Amino acid sequence: MTPADTELVDDDLWSAIGDPTRRRMLDLLLAQGEGTATTLGRQLPVTRQAVAKHLGVLDRVGLVRAAPAGREKKYRVDDAQLARAVAQLSSVGSAWDARLQRIKRIAEAIQRSQEG
Amino acid sequence: MELGTIEREIYVDAAPEVVFDVVSSPEHLKEWWPDDARYDPAPGSTGEIVFGDPQGDGMVVSLTVLEAQPPRTFTFRWTHPAGEAPAEGNSLLVTFDLTPSRGGTLLRMTETGFREMGWEIALLEEQYREHGEGWDFYLPRLVTYVDSLMARP
Repeated sequence: MTPADTELVDDDLWSAIGDPTRRRMLDLLLAQGEGTATTLGRQLPVTRQAVAKHLGVLDRVGLVRAAPAGREKKYRVDDAQLARAVAQLSSVGSAWDARLQRIKRIAEAIQRSQEG
Repeated sequence: MELGTIEREIYVDAAPEVVFDVVSSPEHLKEWWPDDARYDPAPGSTGEIVFGDPQGDGMVVSLTVLEAQPPRTFTFRWTHPAGEAPAEGNSLLVTFDLTPSRGGTLLRMTETGFREMGWEIALLEEQYREHGEGWDFYLPRLVTYVDSLMARP
């Protein structure tokens, strides 16, 4: 990955998990294994329609996978995609660690050359 | 602590004037960060930093200098859409604070704006704090996934 990749790709993915309701939904899906807009709606302070809309957002970025279940769709979390999002989140911090180490190295080399 | 902020501190065994030059000048910036950097390190100046080959799968990113007070403070915003003025909500704010210390420099870096951009860097910390049962359930399994993803070239 280039530095740009780790920080700038997947705005959609990041926005998708930036929403507290959608994170709560991911929580519920992870804890329960699967869920539909109806079952999730019962456990959240939002309408079934809103839940369905949020599920659509999560589905578009690949964080959940849908399978038909009667008249509804059953959703599960896509672990690999979630792991990818988490890896990106933590990589922003470690990217700065690496940059600061380089800043230190460059500045100290300049300082030494000025003193020498 | 503001959860949407990355904060780092590092001691550099060099004078603040030297460190300031390294964190602010485009010539040095491209030694520690992008592949190319074109901007004037003066307040209000907008330029760009380049990652990889912009004709290929590389990327050109806007950067606007907000504050340059040698050898103490250097502040810029980046990632705002080209042609748009940088502001909260469309860009990340990076601040370098330099403090003389033990004959060298204590360099403090903060980057904020993730929350405003919907990027919520603090997602994990927050979830840990809320100790939601779902996250407790998946996080242990996640470590394996993340390791395998990071191991790929």
